[in-house]
Formats: sequence, structure tokens, C-alpha cells
Amino acid sequence: MAEGADNETTPRLRLDREKVRGEFGKRLDSLSEQHILACYQCGNCSSGCPLAEEMDLLPSTVMHLVQLGQSEAVLNSRSIWVCASCLQCTVRCPKGIDIQKVMDVLRQMALAEGIDHFGPDQVDPRNAAEVPQPGLVSAYRKLST
Amino acid sequence: MTRVAYYPGCALKERSAHLERPALGAAEKLGFELDELDSWTCCGAVPPPSEERIMNLVAPIRILKDVRDTGDEVLVTICDFCYNSLKRANHRVSTSDLDRKRVNAFLRENQPKRDYLPSTEEDYRDYLGEVQVMHLLEYLRDVVGFEEIAQSRSTELSGLRLAPYYGCVMLRPEDEIGLDSVENPTIIEDFLVALGAETVAYPYRTVCCGSYLSVSFPESSARLCSNIISSAAEKGADAIVVSCPLCFYNLDSRQKMISELYPGTKSIPILYFTQVLGMAMDLDISDLGFDKHYVDPEPVVEKALGSLKGGGSR
Amino acid sequence: MKRIGVFVCHCGINIANTVDVDRVVEELRKDPRITHAQSYIYMCSDPGQELVRDTIKNEKLDAVVVAACSPSLHELTFRQASAEAGLNPYQCEIANIREQCSWVHEDRERATAKAVKIIKSIVAKTYLNESLEPIRVPINRRAMVIGGGIAGIQASLDIANSGYEVVLVEREPSIGGHMAQLSETFPTLDCSQCILTPKMVEVGKHPRIKLMTYSEVEEVSGYVGNFTVKIRRKAPSVDWATCTGCGECMEKCPVKVPSEFNRGLDDRGAIYVPFPQAVPNKPVIDRDNCVYYRTGKCKLCESTCEVGSIRFDQEDEIVEEEVGAIVVATGYETLPLQRIAEYGGGEVPDVIDGLAFERLLSASGPTVGEVRRPSDGKVPKEVVFVQCAGSRDPERYQPYCSRICCMYTTKHAMLYKHRVHDGQPYIFYIDVRTGGKGYEEFYHRAEEEEGVVYLKGKVASIFRDGDQTVVWGTDSLAGRNVEIRADLVVLATAVVPGTGVQDLAKKLKIQTGENGFLNEAHPKLRPVESITAGFYLAGCGQSPRDIPDTVAQASGAASKVTALFSKDEMEQDPMIAAVDEDVCGGCRVCISVCPYDAREYDEEEEIAVVNEALCEGCGACVAACPCGATQQSNLTDRQILEMITASLGEE
Repeated sequence: MAEGADNETTPRLRLDREKVRGEFGKRLDSLSEQHILACYQCGNCSSGCPLAEEMDLLPSTVMHLVQLGQSEAVLNSRSIWVCASCLQCTVRCPKGIDIQKVMDVLRQMALAEGIDHFGPDQVDPRNAAEVPQPGLVSAYRKLST
Repeated sequence: MTRVAYYPGCALKERSAHLERPALGAAEKLGFELDELDSWTCCGAVPPPSEERIMNLVAPIRILKDVRDTGDEVLVTICDFCYNSLKRANHRVSTSDLDRKRVNAFLRENQPKRDYLPSTEEDYRDYLGEVQVMHLLEYLRDVVGFEEIAQSRSTELSGLRLAPYYGCVMLRPEDEIGLDSVENPTIIEDFLVALGAETVAYPYRTVCCGSYLSVSFPESSARLCSNIISSAAEKGADAIVVSCPLCFYNLDSRQKMISELYPGTKSIPILYFTQVLGMAMDLDISDLGFDKHYVDPEPVVEKALGSLKGGGSR
Repeated sequence: MKRIGVFVCHCGINIANTVDVDRVVEELRKDPRITHAQSYIYMCSDPGQELVRDTIKNEKLDAVVVAACSPSLHELTFRQASAEAGLNPYQCEIANIREQCSWVHEDRERATAKAVKIIKSIVAKTYLNESLEPIRVPINRRAMVIGGGIAGIQASLDIANSGYEVVLVEREPSIGGHMAQLSETFPTLDCSQCILTPKMVEVGKHPRIKLMTYSEVEEVSGYVGNFTVKIRRKAPSVDWATCTGCGECMEKCPVKVPSEFNRGLDDRGAIYVPFPQAVPNKPVIDRDNCVYYRTGKCKLCESTCEVGSIRFDQEDEIVEEEVGAIVVATGYETLPLQRIAEYGGGEVPDVIDGLAFERLLSASGPTVGEVRRPSDGKVPKEVVFVQCAGSRDPERYQPYCSRICCMYTTKHAMLYKHRVHDGQPYIFYIDVRTGGKGYEEFYHRAEEEEGVVYLKGKVASIFRDGDQTVVWGTDSLAGRNVEIRADLVVLATAVVPGTGVQDLAKKLKIQTGENGFLNEAHPKLRPVESITAGFYLAGCGQSPRDIPDTVAQASGAASKVTALFSKDEMEQDPMIAAVDEDVCGGCRVCISVCPYDAREYDEEEEIAVVNEALCEGCGACVAACPCGATQQSNLTDRQILEMITASLGEE
């Protein structure tokens, strides 16, 4: 699980122009082929998210932090790993943002930064023997390098 | 007998064989043959986004290009994951010039040897999205026709109360898949009604089962599935009907964990839509793969058979 | 040789920051065709205009080019200034170096060069300008108002009270519009009926208002000051002249169909008056649902009517009215519940829209003002209000903010609390918008004093579970998702243009925008006029707005109409098509391309002529004319060629 979730304090977000309109957002836009700034925080992605109650940050909060360039907060969140890519948020976003794809890219970024979240060795062997292949393939592809 | 090209995908050949087998038998009874491709690879499942944009297209487009080169215009698949992956890739090459050029350039240089297909760079014809990818349910609805199925079924499954479960990837995203409304789908209901069954309305039919979280966070999947199961059971469903191997696994096998984490959750059998079709088409019970279930579907099968006896058509 | 003066405006820094104004002037001074060139920081200001006037006199200028902003802003200003200095106003032209140059470029060097070219091109045109006189057209000082909601009512009364005749055309059997359906109005909570019905009565009795309800505009011809309108007066199947409005027929009618006025919460008969306070208070027969029209039998209403007013064989009538100005006040509808599948798609009985809730709150409504839910008539104790149901959603529904919902939902929650003291209202919102006098205070009152719960987040889905209606939403401020098992859910559905507005706009030849609302001539400076002369806009047909704004706009439109009527004749721009009679071969291509019916064939002379009053100067016929016989005044082919040559410069 995410580091820093144990922190007892929630420090101020330190904002400056480098951060809020910096490389992180641009790279996310480019990899996901989405326009993050299109989000106007209606909250619909959170409302319909079946996994929201297991997330430390609601999907809409993830989107907001991403808009503010808060890469650390987002990449260290539990939310990006809890997302099941069910596309509910994507089909209901009033601005047409493929939020699931944004989540996919955030996972990729976190993995690239060495937060290897989930490896084949972590699978319960009974699970590995039973879960249909699409599940295994998806899990490895999305959650491990 | 009409034949249609058929892509099974990995799960259906092993862990989810009971999704495929009744489909093959029922198709035959309905007068068409699901003709499995001579050679096929993984559909790519859910590839992560990548910088060069074509990683996630290579596998599905190679499959679709081979189908086209063999002369087929329609490809039927049963697994929701394969359907989603093939259909979205097809949509992408049909709508994005850049991606179409890129993936074709790659495939042109990296053609697998197939003795029955052209494999030199000169022979390569760009794949433009020519093949129509259809879910078996879609094929039954749009080509065979639910009316026709209602006419040809041997058994009326009246009295069976079935709760359709759509999950995610069969319908979403709507603009790329277009199988049915994502908010108010009816295809499984219409299918079940054609077989004479009753359908049960409950709010969770398009709410995620946890998908691959079953591998990484099994408890999360268990929680989601317990919601689905409890809701369907509370509305009086005899079984939940699915079409996705992962949905099946999560809803069926996870009931063990659900009973531990959420004691009191009613147990409910999970059926593939092909198994329900198989029962209605009078396939041999031993061919329906009921032995592969964690929750014994016996009571449902019994109920179906009971109605069969009542109907007196055997 | 024509003496031309050029005046280059800095527009503060708007132009001067990107265009080197001094260099432009320097360049212009080198041009032998330009008599005088100079710049000033704000040419449109008083001293700026004085500078133009003085220079015209001192330098004995024959023509003037002002290099500044778009002509839509200040062409009139400088033409008036030129006229004051004794110049023919059509010898004054604008070179747009702001919108078409400084605002869209960053490279100072190239923007400066472009500004010089734009100005020289306009100078080249101006060189060949003729002195023109405006066209004078007589005005028929009688107005038509289309739509009898509060906008149309207000506009009609204002125009009529100014002494002019008004024809008010309303599609429904009664005037009143949506305002008649409302219970109480925000932020003062005064009763809608109490403030509206006196106005309705005033309209009905006004000696200068000719009221045509149950009528629709069929066809409009003519032009500003002189329109002819054909109106279809739908057959009410009742002789309104003799009908006393006693209501006996309605009581006897065996038919029950959902009442439109009460949003389907109760029924009306096939012969009906939409609501008891209707003006005129005369019934119509809904032939689609009438037993007699469907089966040939019944006629209960006829046998009941003591004065014999029922007319089963009555036919629609087409009447013609001549008017000089038309106010379009077509109003709005709301997005149907059926469109929003995730909120139940209209199939969950206890999910209703805002107008239906108004009827539940209304003392004259189907529940006599008691809040009872449709499914079983129980008083709901948990009520969820969902804002932005179909608004602010460019992907699936309407992209814009419907503007009135934040306030009416707040009002709904408050009025609900007043009716059901132990009930709890919840409002899901994305943003609460309270821009209006007393609105923010009203919102605070709802939160602080009335106990309304506000939850920031769009609702994902709504479904029925047993006799409850479950709402899945989020409270993004708490960072948690929310489930409420409600007894009643009220959706603030998007405000959309009234049905048939597109067709009507086509008949009137006025413009609509991408969302189907009527377009104003200028969003800031001409907000109550259509771009087509003689048409004025009022109310929600133009865009969603609340009652105060609607009434203000309706009065604005009315005063525009009365300003037009204050003259005997009006002046029109003379920059229109003109025909060289010696060149015209009578091929009539121009007639086929003219969108304003301004080109006519003169049988005697065998040439195509121009109706100067109708011509809008669009240039379609000029471009289409194969022999060059049609030319646009002050924009002739020769002038255009000169402009092109000047634009190309030395390249």
C-alpha cells in the first residue's frame, strides 16, 4: 500500500507555476490522450465508483490533485491500485474524459518510479490456479512492471 | 449449415470451458457453426497505455487481419474481455488514421508465418477495420434473432427467475462497443425472455464485480460480489446469468470468501448465458459443465428440468 | 484627386502593444494617395472624435479611414462624427486592426506590416466610395408578440400601454406559460399566480391587445416595419364567442388523459381548460383523445352545453396580420426524464422534475399544496433534489448551465420544509450559483435556518428499491460517497428551447445558436434584438433565465419596439445590391440565390430589380450575377480588386 498514508499530518499543498502547469500534467495528457484540465469537479466519477469506499482519494480528488500537478500525492495513493478499470467513470464523465485511462497512466507512472505494486509472486497460488486468464493478465499488466 | 468465424480466447479453452461448450452445441441446434480460427493468439486483454500507442493494437489487429485475409467478414467471440479488446482495437483503427498507419506498418514488418495466408511484405494489405466483431449474444440477437430462438427452443424455462449481470467490459465504453445502452441494457433480459425465463430486476447488474482485483485484492472483489449476490437473491433470483469468465469466477468461486467475510449472504448459483441456452436447447446436461461450479447449480437445473417435465416435451 | 485622412487608434495597449502605431503612421504618410495620417490613444473618445472632425474641416478631407477595432463596434460612431463635420457618412470606413490583427498576432514586426496592408486596402476601397443616402421605409406601428408566457405578457403590456396595438399569439389554449405552473417565486417567496394572473387578466381585457391563443404562426413575409404574418387559429371545437366558460362540459367529459399543466400528476378531460385561471377561460377539445373524434359517438359535452357552443365541425382558420415589429418570446421546455437513463429514465414513479414539484407545492395543484409523492400519495420524509440533471454535460446532454435551477431547487427544499416540518431535504449540487439580488442571502437562509443539507457532487444513479428510491451520489467535500434512501427525488432537469422553435426561427428567418436558443445581435450591446431587423427577443427562448431577468428583457424588447415606432419611417443602410439596367440580361439567377426575397423580376423591363427595403446587403446575388450587372454599393467588384491589389502590396 501507499507510503505516506501513515503520515499523521496532511501538509499544505505547496503550489507554484512549475508545479500546477508543469511536466506531470503534460505527460499525463500525452500518455492518456486526455485533457485533464477539462475536468470541472462535478464528482460524477466518484459518485458511481464501486471501489470508492476503499480508496484514500476519491476519483474526482485524484483528478483534482492531478490538475494541481501533485504527482506525489497521487502516485502514492491507494486509489490508483484499487481501481478495477470498470469504466463506469469513463462512460458517465460529462466532459468525456476517459478517467479509467488516466488511472491506467498513473499506475504506469507509479510503476516506472519503482513503486512495483504487485508481482506474480504475490498471488495466492490457489488464486493463480483458478482465476481465469484475463484476470491474471490484466492484474499483471496493470499492477506490475 | 451457416458458418461464422469464431475466436474463443484463452479462458474458454481451459478454465472457462463451460462457457464455450454449450455455445458450440446450441449453435449447431440453431443451425450455425461457430468455426474456430485455424490459428489464433491472445487478444491482448487489457494492455496498459504506452508511449508508442500501438502495443495494445498489435495482438487484436493481427487476429482481425488474419480473419479478413481468410475471407471472413464477421468474427464472433464469447468472452467479454476478448470482445472488448477486439472491438475497441477495431474501432481505433477505423477512426484513427495515425494508429491505423502505425499498427499496419508494424504488422507488415512482423508477419507470422502461416502457410495458409500471405506472409510477405509485398502481399500485405493494410487492415482498415473491415471485420465486424460480434459478441455471441449480439449474433444471436441480430443475425439469428431472439424470435427465432424462441421458436426453436426445445424447453421453455418458465418459472426460472434469472438475474442478468452485465458487468463492465461487455458494454463499456458505449461509443466504442455500442452493443446496448450502458445505463439501461436489455440484451440479456431479452435473450432470457426468449428462452421463456423470467428476469429479475435489481440495481447491481452493471456494477463492477471487481474484475482483476480478484488477483490483487480478493477481499475487494468479495465485497462487490456480495452486494450483487445479496441484491439479486433478495429480489428472488434463482441464479445470476453472466457472459464473462471473470465475472463468473468472481461471483461463483468468491462465494466461499463472501460467506466468511459477510456471513448470512445467501448463496446463489451463477450460470453462463450459454448454459441457460444449452438447457433450453435440450443439450445433454453433462455437456453443460455444471461440475465446474463452486455453488452447485443443481436447484436451478432441477427447476428447469421440472418445468421441462411439466411442459412434457421430452 | 480625393483627399483621404487616416486615423490610427492605439486602443490603449490593445493595438499599440502588438502593432507599432507610430511606424504605421510613418508608412501611411509615404503613400501619395493619403492626404493626412495620425494616431491617437483612444480615437473613439470625445477628444479622439473631435480630432477626426477638426481634421476633416481643416484638411478639407473628402473621405476618412479609421484604423481601429471591428466596424461592428464603432463604425456608426465615426460615421456620425464624419457627418457632423459635413462629410457624407458613407465616405467614412473602418480598417479593423484590432480583432483581425493585434489580438491574433504576437510578432510585432509582422503585425505592424499587416496593419499597414489592412489600412491601405481600406484606403483603396474608400477611394472609390460613393456618397450614399440611407433608404427610407415607412413603418407599420403595430407589433406582434409570439409566445404568451411572462415574457410575452410583459412585452405586450409595455407596448400596448405605450399606445400601440399588439397582436399576441400563443400556441396553448391559455396564456400564462410556465410561470402559471409555479408555486412561489424565489427569493421573495411571493405567490406566482398572485403576481401573474392580474397581468394575464390585463392582457385579456386590454383594448389595444388582440389575443390569439391556440394559434400558431404559419408564415412571415415582408421586412422591418412592414411584416405580413399568417396565423393558424386552431379550431378549439368550441364557439368561444358564445361559450360562457361555465365548465359543465368538462365535468361531463368521460375521457381522462394526463394533464400537461399538472405534469401528469392528475388527469384532465378531452374538453378542457388547462387551469382554472386560464385567459381566455374557454375550453378546447383535444381531438386526439376525444371519444367522438375517435369513434363517432359520445357528444356528452354537446348535450350538456346550455348555450350550444360545441362545434365538432369547426375548422382551423388562417388569418393575416400586418405588423411592423415582432417580439419572439417562445420560452422553454425541460429535458424529458426519459432521456436520463441513469436517473431512472422516467420509469421510477417517485422521480419527478422541478415543474412537477412546483405543482405539488402549488395551492391550486393536484394535491392542493400538500407534498405527496406520485407512487402512493404518502408524504415523503426524505427528499433528494438533484441539480444539473442534463445540464453542464457536453458529452451526453446539454453543455450549458441552466441558470435557474440552483435557486429554484433551494426554494423547493425550503418550501418542502415549510410543508413537511419533520422532513429532510438534501440537495446534490456541483456549484451553487446565486448571482442575483437577494439570492446569496436566500441560499444562506436555506442552509442556516431551514436545515437544508447541501452535498457537493453529481449524482451517479437513481433506482427504485421497494417503495423507496435510492440515490447514489458523492459528497466530495467529505471525500466520501453517499447513499440516500429517499421517499421522493426531484430532478432539476436542463432548460431546453421550446419545441418547434427551430421551425419558427426558419419561418421568421432569425438565427439560433448551437443549442437551439435564439441568437441575439450582440451578446452585450444588442441583447434583445435578433440580427434580422425588426425581430426582438424576450425570455428563455434566447437562453435560460429567471423571472426578474425575463421581465427586464421583455420590457427592453418592448422599448426597442416603441423606439422603432417613435418614427414615421426608418432609415436603412444603403450598402445593398444595385443593378446596372443596361447590363442585366434578365437571367434571374439572383432571384434564386436571394435569402431575403429581395430580388424580383421586372416583366416590363425584362430585368431583375432590387427591393431596397428587403435587401440586407448580403452580397449573394452580387457573387452569383454572371454578367456583373449586380454590384454592391460601395463594395463593387472594382473596389474589391483594388483592395486585393493593395493587400498584396509590393509582393
